[in-house]
Amino acid sequence: METTTISPIPPPVAAHPLAAVRRYFGRWGLIAALAALPIYYGISDLTRGYQAGYVAGHVVMHHDLSKLGFNFAVGLSNGAIWALIAIGYTLVYGIIELINFAHGDVFMIGSFTAVGLWGTLGLGLTTGALGLIGGLIVTLIITMLVTGSLNVLIERVAYRPLRGAPKLAALITAVGFSFILQNVGLLWRGGSPQSVNDLIRTQQAVFTIGGVPIQRGYILAFAVMIPLVFALTWFINTTRAGRAMRATAQDPEAARLMGINVNATISLTFLLGGMLAGAAGLVYALYETNVWYFQGFKAGLIAFTAAVMGGIGNVRGAVLGGLIIGVIQALSDSRLGPQWTEAVVFGYLIAIMVLRPRGLLGEETREAG
Amino acid sequence: MSSTETPAPPAVAVLRAEHVTKTFGGLVAVNDISFDVPEHSIVSLIGPNGAGKTTLFNMLTGLYRPTEGRIMLGERNITRARPDVITRHGVARTFQNIRLFGAMTAVENVMVGHHARMRAGLFGSIFRPPWVRREELQTREHARELLAYVGLREPVFDRLAGQLPYGDQRRVEIARALASQPRLLLLDEPTAGMNAQESRVLTEFMRKLRDELELTILLIEHDMKVVMGVSERITVLDYGKKIAEGEPAAVRADPAVIEAYLGKQA
Amino acid sequence: MSELRALLREWRAAAGKRLPPWSSRALAGFFIVIGIVLPFGFGSASGFMNATIIALAYAVMSLGLNIVVGFAGLLDLGYVAFYALGAYSLGWFGSGFFFKAQVHVLVSKVASTLPGVHLNFILILIAAALICAAAGAVIGLPTLRLRGDYIAIVTLAFGEIIGDVAVNGQSVHVGGGMTLTAGNLGISAVDAPYFPGIGSFGLLDLRPWYWLIFAILLVVLFVNLRLRDSRLGRAWVALREDEVAAVSMGIPLVKTKLLAYAIGAAFGGMSGAFFGTYYTEVNAGQFQFGFSIFILAMVIIGGLGSIWGAVVGGMVLGYINNYLIPDVLNTLPSKLGFNFQLTEVEFGIFGFLLVIMMVLRPQGLIPERRRRLELTAEIAPADAQLAEAPGTPGGAA
Repeated sequence: METTTISPIPPPVAAHPLAAVRRYFGRWGLIAALAALPIYYGISDLTRGYQAGYVAGHVVMHHDLSKLGFNFAVGLSNGAIWALIAIGYTLVYGIIELINFAHGDVFMIGSFTAVGLWGTLGLGLTTGALGLIGGLIVTLIITMLVTGSLNVLIERVAYRPLRGAPKLAALITAVGFSFILQNVGLLWRGGSPQSVNDLIRTQQAVFTIGGVPIQRGYILAFAVMIPLVFALTWFINTTRAGRAMRATAQDPEAARLMGINVNATISLTFLLGGMLAGAAGLVYALYETNVWYFQGFKAGLIAFTAAVMGGIGNVRGAVLGGLIIGVIQALSDSRLGPQWTEAVVFGYLIAIMVLRPRGLLGEETREAG
Repeated sequence: MSSTETPAPPAVAVLRAEHVTKTFGGLVAVNDISFDVPEHSIVSLIGPNGAGKTTLFNMLTGLYRPTEGRIMLGERNITRARPDVITRHGVARTFQNIRLFGAMTAVENVMVGHHARMRAGLFGSIFRPPWVRREELQTREHARELLAYVGLREPVFDRLAGQLPYGDQRRVEIARALASQPRLLLLDEPTAGMNAQESRVLTEFMRKLRDELELTILLIEHDMKVVMGVSERITVLDYGKKIAEGEPAAVRADPAVIEAYLGKQA
Repeated sequence: MSELRALLREWRAAAGKRLPPWSSRALAGFFIVIGIVLPFGFGSASGFMNATIIALAYAVMSLGLNIVVGFAGLLDLGYVAFYALGAYSLGWFGSGFFFKAQVHVLVSKVASTLPGVHLNFILILIAAALICAAAGAVIGLPTLRLRGDYIAIVTLAFGEIIGDVAVNGQSVHVGGGMTLTAGNLGISAVDAPYFPGIGSFGLLDLRPWYWLIFAILLVVLFVNLRLRDSRLGRAWVALREDEVAAVSMGIPLVKTKLLAYAIGAAFGGMSGAFFGTYYTEVNAGQFQFGFSIFILAMVIIGGLGSIWGAVVGGMVLGYINNYLIPDVLNTLPSKLGFNFQLTEVEFGIFGFLLVIMMVLRPQGLIPERRRRLELTAEIAPADAQLAEAPGTPGGAA
């Protein structure tokens, strides 16, 4: 029997019409495609200028990059939220090769839980700064625990029994759970987007860089994302449990033989992913000041696109992908109109899947390439 | 001393590999291999584990594309051809780990083997004009004949392939390969998992295929008794390179071969 | 328990052997006759008739998706795209939407005086099938080398994009002041089907609608049955089971997969066109992701890959969705003390059904003949006497 131990030899791949395109596309092609939008609009802003308001009946045109800068600020902040959700997708996919369809809805439950906790803790528009910060930290912790446990529960109930079954079965179950969670959200807060208290005055500008007002919301998004990502990365790289996660992601059988409790490790992965989604939920509620039962589905697809763009299975990739997608969204919202943004993002998703499934930072995946 | 020169091909070469190389990233799986398979012969490809034999097979059947080199099937260049095209031109194979379609019966598996030789398309399948009906019947008949030819009994024909015992599954795989009426049959470790008696039966069967169906057979094998007993020519690979080639007696005595196998005797 | 099941199977096999060869044809004929006379047993405009018509249309959709997901094993999560394209085929070619045009083919006297494109419904069905077949191939093309879950995401993305185009199409101008779609407002004055000699369908008498969709279902069923037992059908199953082995046996990968997408899509389009005319409007709000899951649920609950399963799944879920939940059981939660109506938890119920099905009975209500043993790993009694488990080396030949 031929052994293929040293380097994994990819399975046979029949010749494909796009294979040649794919080879030449490469990482730089993807980067170029992503940079195309900002570069185009940057040049357009500088040369043709953009409308910046009316003065005495005349349109005022500016010829600088501050509108682009504004797009970036908005985009990166949104992207930070997507990054947190995308990490959950990428961790789960890396370890059990399953797209956790319900993950976006866990994020939504996180938002709902956070808003609910505000009520319980009495956080309102008149709460003092100290009380607010304290209250929000408590909210964050509790929300993260709730969503983390929810994610673990879903794995235990829906995915673990199907671990030996064909991938189709697990995927369908994931979709089923997504629906169940959406319905929970629907019953909880109704079918329309619900406004919530703007607790931190999210749109208040804290300072300005180059004509671009940096709002509190932006700072919040990064203030939450950066520490959490660092903590997660530290955990995965330093602790024993983190090492177990990495080992199981590479080769579950070998990990089991080395004495790693694979089931517990998988549950841990779901826990961490769920917690990050919960944090994202709280940030989203504070930042957008409204919540909606359907936000999870939308966010889920966007975050998954981000995870794939960055390279599925790769945490840094997920963060990078999230930020990039956020910027693309902001540019599309601002320049093409929000009604086309979803189509633009999905257009990118399809292009990446077809031309470079491993994304920016990913390795050659087993059959997707 | 060693028999590395290819003996002058006595007849038309059904298959010729010319300086074929396959690299995966940094790994050179097949390194500049040239050999040919004369018509109506039985040629064995042997070598230690990891020598590149299955990789070579995969290139011959179009599943991998050679990094360098050329593969000729008769007059036709099949180096870049798709697997289904290669099958249409007369190459069929079995797999090292049996790859039957478990959800279909043995007969249906063999009928799939006929795919390249049937003509019914989308509209033929829907409207079933008389010629399609006839084709279906004939294909089904032929499939049953092939299953009988490889030594299976009637009751087995309509059982799900995934439910059959190992030996029967191997036979179904061969019948399926024969269904496309190939000129060249590639067998990847056909005697894996068989005992001595079964291997003998299979060896006889290979000769029968060569004689009755005028096939050319190229096989990968580890069982030296089979190899020495049935091959007219043996090609030996090690670490992706061809280290010996020739008639069984010569190859058996070749020091390079003996060294590669660390003393494994026939 | 498994002994009982084995016994039942033996009886069924023995009974099957005793029946004359034309028995399955006779049974089919019997059901067709029942189907034709069914409407006479119910009020011509009853809620039940309405639900039945919708259920039959869902069955057609389900049969279409069954080809893609069930036969060929390609997980398509964007099937709503073909519902949309089929419905828009009707909106474009069977109404006054393209008001600059004056095309009339075999339509009623009234319709032939109206502006727009007005084709006979059968022609629209054909157009919908062709448009969707092309779209199916286009959507399928990028997925050819992708693994299962990625195929799901790409098809989902396409479904969403088509939904977006449907909504935004009202600002996409195609010349002469006409737009591509009417967005969420919808194309509303669509033609009812008209057949010379029978006249135009109205909304008071649902029976002609019923017979029309029943006829469409019979045609689609016929095509499905023919395809299943054909060279193409076997090729699909082979690709689903083992792609590498399939292409090595001479099955052309690209062409075969694209055919699966195209034909599956065509059926969805035909059903979509029917829905368009039955609901008398085509608006973008009808085309949401949830619908794709709904159809997928039908195929799975019915039995992945099984033709009769797809029909049963389609009809069962159609009835549950359009009759059981809104008409019959809607007030159940309030009777039990909850303050919501059953329609509000529809989503959740379907999600729950999906989860339950996958965990308890993944092969569905009517398993595909070929898959039954695979998914339940049962061994028939005769085989249990063989020496060893299948697939292990050393077995007797």
